[in-house]
Amino acid sequence: MERETGVWRLVFLALPLGVFTLLVIWPLASSFYYSFTNWNGFSAEYDYVGFENFAKLWTDKLFFNAAVNTVIWMVAAILLPTLLGLVLALLIDSRIPGGSVFKSIFYFPICLSAVVVGQIWIWIYQPDWGLLNTAVNAAVGSDLSFAWLAKPGTALGSVIVAWSWQQTGLSMVIYLAGLTSISEDLLEVCEIEGASIWQRIRIVVIPLLTPATVVVVALSVINSLKGFEILYIMTGGGPFNSSDTLAMHMYNESFKKYLMGYGSAISVVLFLVALTIIGIYFRELKKVDEIYG
Amino acid sequence: MADVHAIHPAGKEFNPWPAVIFIVLVCLALLFLAPTAGVLLSSIKTTREIALGDLWSIPDRLYLGNFAEVLQNPAVHRYLLNTLMVAIPATSVSLALGVLAGYVFAKLPFRGSEALFLVIIAGMFFPPQVILIPLYRLFNAVGLIDTLWPVIFVHIAMGLPICTLLMRNFFATVPNALREAAILEGANEWQVLTRVALPLSLPALAVLATLQFTWIWNDFLWPLIFTQSDEKRTIMLGLVNLKGQYSVAWGVQGALSLIASLPTLIVFLFFQRYFIKGMTMGAVKG
Repeated sequence: MERETGVWRLVFLALPLGVFTLLVIWPLASSFYYSFTNWNGFSAEYDYVGFENFAKLWTDKLFFNAAVNTVIWMVAAILLPTLLGLVLALLIDSRIPGGSVFKSIFYFPICLSAVVVGQIWIWIYQPDWGLLNTAVNAAVGSDLSFAWLAKPGTALGSVIVAWSWQQTGLSMVIYLAGLTSISEDLLEVCEIEGASIWQRIRIVVIPLLTPATVVVVALSVINSLKGFEILYIMTGGGPFNSSDTLAMHMYNESFKKYLMGYGSAISVVLFLVALTIIGIYFRELKKVDEIYG
Repeated sequence: MADVHAIHPAGKEFNPWPAVIFIVLVCLALLFLAPTAGVLLSSIKTTREIALGDLWSIPDRLYLGNFAEVLQNPAVHRYLLNTLMVAIPATSVSLALGVLAGYVFAKLPFRGSEALFLVIIAGMFFPPQVILIPLYRLFNAVGLIDTLWPVIFVHIAMGLPICTLLMRNFFATVPNALREAAILEGANEWQVLTRVALPLSLPALAVLATLQFTWIWNDFLWPLIFTQSDEKRTIMLGLVNLKGQYSVAWGVQGALSLIASLPTLIVFLFFQRYFIKGMTMGAVKG
């Protein structure tokens, strides 16, 4: 009986594990390997160069620039959708008519692709007839034709706004799910005890939403690490690398300059960053599990 | 609508809050809809109207020339067909593999299966850039660059973590007694899976199919890396390609974006419940 179960395990797991090993685990290991070579993407031959690629990272100004941008991108891409999502969830969760309609409106951008979201926002920022300049001009009577995406000072920020527009709905639905678990009695007690709305939210609701916050932040971190496509579409990392991130830099070095060895070194750094964050996340998740069951 | 409300519990006298909140939400909703409205409006206007700065007004007549232009373009047909040829097999196979693995992790655990499960789940968290170069080399070595195969294979592999996670969590809710009864009746594991567990798991499969199809349809990165010729591009890459061809024909670009988003919008409209469930389920158990 037990032997038979063992055979079935093997039969069921063979294909999934085979695919996963071949297309995820093995490439992951290979990335480490290639990061010690000078492979150019075409030739069958390449040399082992030791830590040369990693040493180059230290002197690569563009790498440093991309790392700083990645930090800015991640912090903003976590904070904005999380805070906005929380506010929307709190508003929708109160007794107002049409709650589910609002929910759908804020949520639907998540089903659009990065290409389409990029396209939509390129138009918003279009200098001559884009909504942003049109609205500003209508409001203050100016004659502005500012190219938001073509100026180093505003490019990254503009993409972050577009990204937040798409991601906010996700944190909103998670917070809404979290809010349904807060007991109504508890809120009523607050009311009877004379707590103001802000006190109620700050002292009772937000702490009770901690498990939801952990999930929202984790998802935002994961998604923002993957946020390559929208930058590629909207700015391509430019102008003058002002919106270049690690993922973008890695792509350019590997698939534009064909420095695949060096690109691998960047992806190894990206992997280590992701690993650290995931490690922290699992540790925090365990803590939250212990506290909230 | 849920009757739980953080902002104001059961009201007594006159309460101005619902009205204020409603107005704030309407404003925010309009702000949120504005970007999409721009694309909608552009698709029913002529390029001339848009260039004259008349994009943001409600048109007095419907101009369908942009849609006609897009739908008559043979390249668009090819892009859409290519995307379907990736999305359908990749979605079904990743679901099937997730069912198999999820069943073992939920119902046939073994020593170390928990650790193995975690390794697979961790795959969900990594930026795909990390495995880009080795995969490119692998598919180049077997001569599959510039075909749809690498895109299909990679989507199957990348979808495996979320499929395994959701299916394991779902199978865990199927009572063990059902499986044991079936085994006593002489069924083997394959029969338990296909005749007992799978018919019960249709809601979970719907959740996964919705998520996977949307992600794969919308994907840009993998076809960007693995395909080169215009014949093999998927719709999202096609969209970027055609932007050059229709560089100032903004109305055509708007119609294109809409047509490219239509399948996922339809999926979203009909399966919104599953979509949200999948996102929060995957998230909550992450």
